[in-house]
Amino acid sequence: MTPPLLRGPVRVAVALAVVLALWQAVHLAAIVPERYFPGIPAVLAAFGDMIASGDLLSGWALTFSRATIGLIAASLLGIGLAILSDLSPVFGRGFRYISDVLQPIPPAAFVPMAVFSLGLGTKLYAFVVILVTVWPPYLNGSAALEAVSPVQVATGRMLGCGRWTLLWRIKLPSAMPEIFAGIRYAATISLVAVVVSEMLSGSNGIGFMIYKKAFALRTADVFALMFVVGLNGVLMNGLVSLLRRGVVGWHQKMMERQE
Amino acid sequence: MTDILTARNVAKDFGGTGGTLSIIDGLNLAVKKGEFVSLVGPSGCGKTTLLLCLAGLQSLTRGEITFKGVPVMEPPQGLAVVFQDYSRSLLPWNTNLDNILFGMRRVAGDARAKRDRAAELLEAVGLGGFGGHYPWQVSGGMQQRVAIARGLASESELLLLDEPLAAVDAQTRADMQDLFLDLARKFNQTCLLVTHDVEEAVYMAQRVLVLGPRPTKVVREVTIELPRERDQLETREDPAFLAARHEVLSLIRSMRTRKAA
Ligand SMILES: Nc1ncnc2c1ncn2[C@@H]1O[C@H](COP(=O)(O)OP(=O)(O)O)[C@@H](O)[C@H]1O
Ligand SMILES: [Mg+2]
Repeated sequence: MTPPLLRGPVRVAVALAVVLALWQAVHLAAIVPERYFPGIPAVLAAFGDMIASGDLLSGWALTFSRATIGLIAASLLGIGLAILSDLSPVFGRGFRYISDVLQPIPPAAFVPMAVFSLGLGTKLYAFVVILVTVWPPYLNGSAALEAVSPVQVATGRMLGCGRWTLLWRIKLPSAMPEIFAGIRYAATISLVAVVVSEMLSGSNGIGFMIYKKAFALRTADVFALMFVVGLNGVLMNGLVSLLRRGVVGWHQKMMERQE
Repeated sequence: MTDILTARNVAKDFGGTGGTLSIIDGLNLAVKKGEFVSLVGPSGCGKTTLLLCLAGLQSLTRGEITFKGVPVMEPPQGLAVVFQDYSRSLLPWNTNLDNILFGMRRVAGDARAKRDRAAELLEAVGLGGFGGHYPWQVSGGMQQRVAIARGLASESELLLLDEPLAAVDAQTRADMQDLFLDLARKFNQTCLLVTHDVEEAVYMAQRVLVLGPRPTKVVREVTIELPRERDQLETREDPAFLAARHEVLSLIRSMRTRKAA
């Protein structure tokens, strides 16, 4: 058992303090030249400056909204494809090959090709983000739809459910916990994909700012921005968890009970 | 009285990699409206398969099944199954009350009336205060009663019960047997009970059908000459009960020794 004091926010604060202390120690020991590894006060100052100028907030809003919209679109698409695979096994088997080939391609590899065909801007982000984020919800969803308990399906059929009612009332609810596990994983991928696209071909957003500052050798700014990217992940996970509790809270309570 | 359920010359094979496996062959049975019939047979002989076929949940290889005179192709309305794996047949994302409401999806009526009816049914199976609980928050015996209430909620006339009491302890089992008999009468249910417990089969039914080894069919029909009203103490000491029990048990034993020989 973890002592209660080490749970939740306290645990986060302790972990953060340890990281910051290590950081400052490395900085003071000057293992890395100071101008490539600024201390915490310098990073905080850079952070403060960027907030004051308004750059950080506008960049953050762009990056976070791109990642969120991408995640929502990719999740819906992934669920749709999983449903299609369930309704049509032929499609499911065929699409499995396509996903096996596309899935290992990193977001950075899609960007150059997409720049030529889609240009710079929204279409490019949508393409890259969806193409790398769609897989966890799709793969988890199609596996979970396949694994629905035959007794549950028999129950639905006994009560007169047709194929769509069966999907809506039995199969999807039963697959939802697994789908959400996929979405949670996809949330991180979506953030990574947006930042990478912004770095490689963007004109704004946190990724673009990191790239620009890095070339200007403004390392304190770069570290502050990286910290913001990390916080984005925490924020995104928090949002997904909230939604998850609303949709599949029953499952979480059931699992807690079985422990 | 008319037959509510008939099976004529039913056969069921399962196709596998190593050829076909014949589970049921040449099975005939008929259940009259209002009857309580037990089906007994050795474990693995195909009882669950037969029940699923009778319910229209599995296709036949040969033969015909009718429910209320109509050939069964799809699960018909008016027929409810209480599955052997009852805890998994309840939907864990729905509360007990919502599970029962799901059972009423083909029943006419407005939402208010359905809710009242579902609450009444929970009351009838002794779970008045548990409508807001999820199935996984109540005991196995209680889940079983929710599954039965859901069957009744579908306005079923025929209940197919697949070893519903196999997993409960002896005392609960006796109580549940009486609850079933009580509910069957109160809700005018015709019941077909699958069990491997011969005493239970005799105690509950007016007729016991004995299934043979695989490929299974009905090998004997035993009429239970007992009054409709049953009592855990008196019925079980009644000479007619003991005679029927003896007949069924010795038949099953002879099948077992024949198989061993
Ligand atoms: N879907 C299936 N495919 C292949 N074999 C099956 C299937 N369902 C059941 N069986 C086989 O049919 C036999 C009878 O099973 P079952 O009807 O569950 O028996 P019982 O309910 O009497 O214990 C078993 O040997 C089982 O392995
Ligand atoms: Mg069985």
